[in-house]
Amino acid sequence: MAEVFGLEAPYRGAYRLERLSFGSGSPSVAVVSGLHGNELNGIHSLNVVAGTLKMARLRGTVHLLPVVNSFGLEYGTKRWPFGDRDINQAFPGDPEGSPVQRIAHALLAATDADVCVDIHSASPVLRELPQVRVPLSGREVELARAMGLPTVWRRAGDLLEATGLVGAWRQQGRAALHVVGGRGATLDLGPARTMASGVLRLLHHLGILSAQPPPGRCVADTTRDRVSYHYSGLGGFWVPEVGIGDRVAPGHLLGSVTEVIGGGRLEEVRADRAGVVITMRAYPVIHARELLARVSDAEP
Amino acid sequence: MRVAVVAGVRGDTPEGVRVAHLVGHALEAVHESLSGTVDIYPCVNPLAAHRGSRHWPFFDQDLNRRFPGRGQGHAPDRVAWELVRDLTGADLVIEVRGAHPAFSETAQAHVRFGDDEAAQRALKTNVNIVWNRKPGPAAPSTLVYQFPGAIVLEGGRGNRLTEGVGVALRDGILNLLNHLKVVPDKGLPFHWAAVTRPEIVTDAQVFRVRSDEGGLFLPDLTPWDPVEPGTRIGQIIDPIDGRIRQELVAKVAGRLVAVREQPVVFPGNMVARLVEVSGG
Repeated sequence: MAEVFGLEAPYRGAYRLERLSFGSGSPSVAVVSGLHGNELNGIHSLNVVAGTLKMARLRGTVHLLPVVNSFGLEYGTKRWPFGDRDINQAFPGDPEGSPVQRIAHALLAATDADVCVDIHSASPVLRELPQVRVPLSGREVELARAMGLPTVWRRAGDLLEATGLVGAWRQQGRAALHVVGGRGATLDLGPARTMASGVLRLLHHLGILSAQPPPGRCVADTTRDRVSYHYSGLGGFWVPEVGIGDRVAPGHLLGSVTEVIGGGRLEEVRADRAGVVITMRAYPVIHARELLARVSDAEP
Repeated sequence: MRVAVVAGVRGDTPEGVRVAHLVGHALEAVHESLSGTVDIYPCVNPLAAHRGSRHWPFFDQDLNRRFPGRGQGHAPDRVAWELVRDLTGADLVIEVRGAHPAFSETAQAHVRFGDDEAAQRALKTNVNIVWNRKPGPAAPSTLVYQFPGAIVLEGGRGNRLTEGVGVALRDGILNLLNHLKVVPDKGLPFHWAAVTRPEIVTDAQVFRVRSDEGGLFLPDLTPWDPVEPGTRIGQIIDPIDGRIRQELVAKVAGRLVAVREQPVVFPGNMVARLVEVSGG
């Protein structure tokens, strides 16, 4: 483990950006997690990956940066807790700028690799089926499919914001994959392990890792027009009937919005297409027009 | 002529909310003499204002990063959408804020770089500087970006009401309304000659002073104090043993427009903002 960047803290201790590096030479892959301090699944994913890489002979280089926002992790906050800034909106960064700009700049420099992966959890109120988000076409689609995650979501104009890490990587011409899985503010072991396996399959696909990991299974290779978004009409208490990865048919009850006191059913939310649930509301208190579920067309 | 005055987009800017109400009270006294319409939105984000927090509670989102909003979105997005819809057609949008929560700032106006008409109007707002600033990467998601010609007024201390600042900004808005012929001369609770005559500055004249060390920032100066090269702005103190870790000095002649009041700093945190002005 090596410290690639440090920032002194006012009350002793210091911020450190730590990187675990394995192998040498080309090709190279950098995998990042923990940009948001309350997204924990990727941290576990990279710890699992590290455990495999420690004992493997590699043809290429792998850099893992499991925890970028370590202070956010300690405070349980998404953003940098001092000034409440989102590091993932500070790219490309500035070595002489604010603390988050300095971290962003250092992170970009520390992830100078052929292929870059940024792993997130969903927000604390949602749970996502592990998915990789890429542009509609190009090399990144091939790499995404090689990960074998349950969902490959191809999105138009998916540079993502240039102020974000994935957008900054793409602006530098690197192949960049945006991976999301599980729920924020918790450790979702299943999605975390699935994402770890996806990273290992990617390394095998690139020829870096010779041992072949178990194959993954993609259940939804999808685009926006093949995904239904279900929003609440009312505020209340959301009681789900399905979970991520469940297959549904048109009319299938996804869940109900109920009265907070009394439990009376206010609204039923039903699938309008056959497919697989890729997103599910995990926190039951909802306001009107909040996202409750996403259902994608599914592979047979 | 229709002018909109908007405040409280974030919950940690009570000064703007106060200014909105002060303007409203002043206009009530002369409402029969107004030529035009003044729409006041005193507190756009009352849930955040209730907590004194920047972000909309529960959603934990900065409303001033949600514009233009979505008509079918969740509450913050819908509020953004409806506000834009309601403001559409206004000849001028003025957003009144306080200062950044960690700072004390001199009264100032911000306009979009290149918008000369907005800059000329902002000269009437009783501020110390008019900052003609280039939009940053987050600008397209802000309220004022949706309205060419908009003016932002800032000043005071973060999440505080500061004696004198609210009245000064109120006077500035009334003076501008008088200049636009919306408010008659008799509607001004001050003499026109008392209005501050600011300079217009650009990004090239604005300098951010950042700490190189972590510690506690102790300022020597207050907003609008003059500085020369070498003037000490403040010190960084080690919180454990009290030794001076860094002295921060001005590198240009001008005025201090913002100084940090929240003392805990990391290396790279801004502690002050200077502007190079000829009156310096």
